Amino acid sequence: MSNFKEYLRDKPDSKISKIIVNRDICIGVASCVAVADSTFKLDEEAKAIVIDPLAADDQTLLMAAQSCPVQAILLIDKAGKQVFP
Amino acid sequence: MTNYKYLIIGGGVAGTTAADNIRQLDAEGSIAIVGDEPYPFYSKVMLSKPEYFMGKIPEEKIFLKQPNWYGEKKIDYITGKQVTSVDPKSKTITLNDNLVIQYDKLLIATGNTPRAWDIPGAEKDGIFSLRRLDDYKKIKSFIPNVKNAVSIGGGFISFEMCEIMNRLGISVTLIIRENYFWEPILDKESATIAEKAMEAKGIKIIRNAEVQEVTGDTKVSGLVLKNGESVACDMVIVSIGNYCNLEFLKTSGIELSRGIITDEYLKTNVTDVWAAGDVADYSDLILEEQVELGNWVNAQVQGKIAGLNMAGKPQPFKLVSSCNAHGFESNITFVGDIRPEKNKKVILRKSLDSKNIIQLFIKFGELIGATFVNGAEELPTVCKLIETDTKLTGFESQLSDPSFDLKGLMK
Repeated sequence: MSNFKEYLRDKPDSKISKIIVNRDICIGVASCVAVADSTFKLDEEAKAIVIDPLAADDQTLLMAAQSCPVQAILLIDKAGKQVFP
Repeated sequence: MTNYKYLIIGGGVAGTTAADNIRQLDAEGSIAIVGDEPYPFYSKVMLSKPEYFMGKIPEEKIFLKQPNWYGEKKIDYITGKQVTSVDPKSKTITLNDNLVIQYDKLLIATGNTPRAWDIPGAEKDGIFSLRRLDDYKKIKSFIPNVKNAVSIGGGFISFEMCEIMNRLGISVTLIIRENYFWEPILDKESATIAEKAMEAKGIKIIRNAEVQEVTGDTKVSGLVLKNGESVACDMVIVSIGNYCNLEFLKTSGIELSRGIITDEYLKTNVTDVWAAGDVADYSDLILEEQVELGNWVNAQVQGKIAGLNMAGKPQPFKLVSSCNAHGFESNITFVGDIRPEKNKKVILRKSLDSKNIIQLFIKFGELIGATFVNGAEELPTVCKLIETDTKLTGFESQLSDPSFDLKGLMK
């Protein structure tokens, strides 16, 4: 069973309602931090956590998720559909 | 002759990110990527991760772009071709099938290649290096029959491959030329944490050793070391460093070192030619010197910056990036400038239980780099301190105290 950490996002004008980090496969490359440092940081296990799910716009969040070399970031829209990956 | 407004050599993270960013700024300008592999953009980081190697993550997950992505973005992806020369006068490149392509703006993002293992018998079956998807596939199909493996070289790939093979039940011997793992980047004490974690899982480490010869008929059966000792094995993973293959640029007039020399905008000395990723020897605004750095985030952000600059939105590259390896329940991270150098001051910051050690590298009173063996929770603070050129003069003695909060130094 994967170790998913979910972060809810209720932001006006945003289609993304949830950010999920799969901690089992996150390896702390920090590409998400490089793209969206207002949203992501690494914790003491060198795994990505969300510090502010509302900070970034949808385009930046999508770019951060796309930048992950192990696809550990999942984005869910308001209908519950996975938009990335 | 085909002409592209933007021509990119290299379909890895730097080249693909550049193409993506160019398309966001220029909806119609023609873009082509020339890559020497037959695959769409994939994650080289994943190649040495146990979850992927052991089938816990489906194999197709390695592809970060699907084949139809290129068409959707109106990017021509020319695969399986090598560039044999670049001629800035006619603004053309020539491929190995003699096809000539003209460019308005050129990005070179060809990455690097594993250094050849120049040892008698190194051509035998069962000897591998790991850099590309095809290497991974060969290792993966070979590994089920392996009982005794040797990993050569002390670095991230070697560390991660030792763990993968160990978890697959293979008996693993690590052979390093140095006195200890990651010498001279890590200090002995930091390295000992990693070595002990490996040895606790049964990895045998042979230090101060070099291989004289590979034995076996067509397939490797063992290694003879320079001290005469023999090591029986049926597979060898060689990770002895990488180099940039710049042969195709020899007549181009582009200024070369071990990489391609660029300014802080990743522009070369030749008009309309940029370089990004592992191949770039760039002017680093934070360290104030030329730097070559091979890691995923560095290549990705350089790809973005080069793309923006090519599409007419000038921006300098400025980033403190890190690279890391997980394995044997340890996490090892390098950040900033970690090159061994005489006039660097090194401060060891150890946790009370000595399970975490950070080396802080200081030059001219400023933090310029660090290594972490565990203790990565201080990584963001260390990155910030490097990025902001914070003066640490007067605090040197406190830095080694783990109860001293580094955040207090931030501007």
